[in-house]
Amino acid sequence: MPQLWQIISEVGVQHFLILGVVLFVIGTLGVFIRRNALITLMSIELILNAANLTLLAFARAQQDMRGQALALLVIAVAAAEAAIGLAIVVGVFRNRQNTNLDDLTLLRY
Amino acid sequence: MIGLASAASAAGLISGQLAGLSLGPVALLAQAVTVQQVPAGSLHPSMAPPWAFWVLATLTVVGALSTILRRNLIGAVMSMVATFFGLASLYALLSAHFLAAIQVLVYAGAIMVLFVFVIMVLNREEADPWPTQGIVGKALGAGALVYLAMRLGGMLLAPGAAIRSVPGDPPGSYGTVAKLGEFFFTDFLFPFEAISILLVIAVIGAVVLAKSHVSRPTSTHEAGVDGQSFAAAHESAHEDADPADAAGHSSHGHGGH
Repeated sequence: MPQLWQIISEVGVQHFLILGVVLFVIGTLGVFIRRNALITLMSIELILNAANLTLLAFARAQQDMRGQALALLVIAVAAAEAAIGLAIVVGVFRNRQNTNLDDLTLLRY
Repeated sequence: MIGLASAASAAGLISGQLAGLSLGPVALLAQAVTVQQVPAGSLHPSMAPPWAFWVLATLTVVGALSTILRRNLIGAVMSMVATFFGLASLYALLSAHFLAAIQVLVYAGAIMVLFVFVIMVLNREEADPWPTQGIVGKALGAGALVYLAMRLGGMLLAPGAAIRSVPGDPPGSYGTVAKLGEFFFTDFLFPFEAISILLVIAVIGAVVLAKSHVSRPTSTHEAGVDGQSFAAAHESAHEDADPADAAGHSSHGHGGH
């Protein structure tokens, strides 16, 4: 019991890393279980944010700001990915009148 | 350091005088300069109250779960905004102040507006958000993910777990814009330029992808012949939406040459 209290009261870098793992898993679950393209894109954003949180936690632990520079680059890539992904979703919707990923099987077989 | 402190105190003095003169925005700016004097170590994870982490972590996880589980798309986006605000606060707890601001600006500002716009344009409810087709594979994948999370979390929380870290508070310059900019103009110069090219490509690609009738055969044909006639044909093709009419225009333009 005192060990549990120690985990709760002494927040360290491990806690941030575990939160990053949880967010990553939630994002990947979203990619797995939803078939809407927009929700899938949002889940990918969640995954990238989990990676960012991990980068910042390690940067803070080692007091090395290169992790923060890397996180800023990740944010820029995520912005580009969201713009392109949403443009693709709009284009697909214009052609097929829905955004259901399970129906987009033209290149599958 | 002394120079910085004296400059800051001078700014404080100026701000006091300006506040006395009630020059609103300038005084606010000067006060912002003095606020930077707070040592960065005060946001150390071990020095911030532990409940701050737990509250923010709960907000983030609940927001993320709500994002992937809600049926309403606008509701999902709003949950995502809550998640991003929680994450920005967590970044601040990790002494990454500039990245916390960027997170709010880029994610909660720009990307979320983009999502909301697309949802409004499409205006389509999901017919069946929980497909039963292929559910075995999805369940297996979800189980594997949860197992991965448990193993990773258990490893991190184990009593003997040690992450290589530098003890003590970071220096005052940690997480500031100045230090980050220094990195981007020395060590990270090439990635910085590459990212700028990537962003240009992304903007152009998004415009090209989302534009309607981007590869109408008549237009591309005309573009190969002559720029001016391409513009004319494009204009006429937009004026009369009938494809047969547009084809007639194109053959006419071609014959003119």
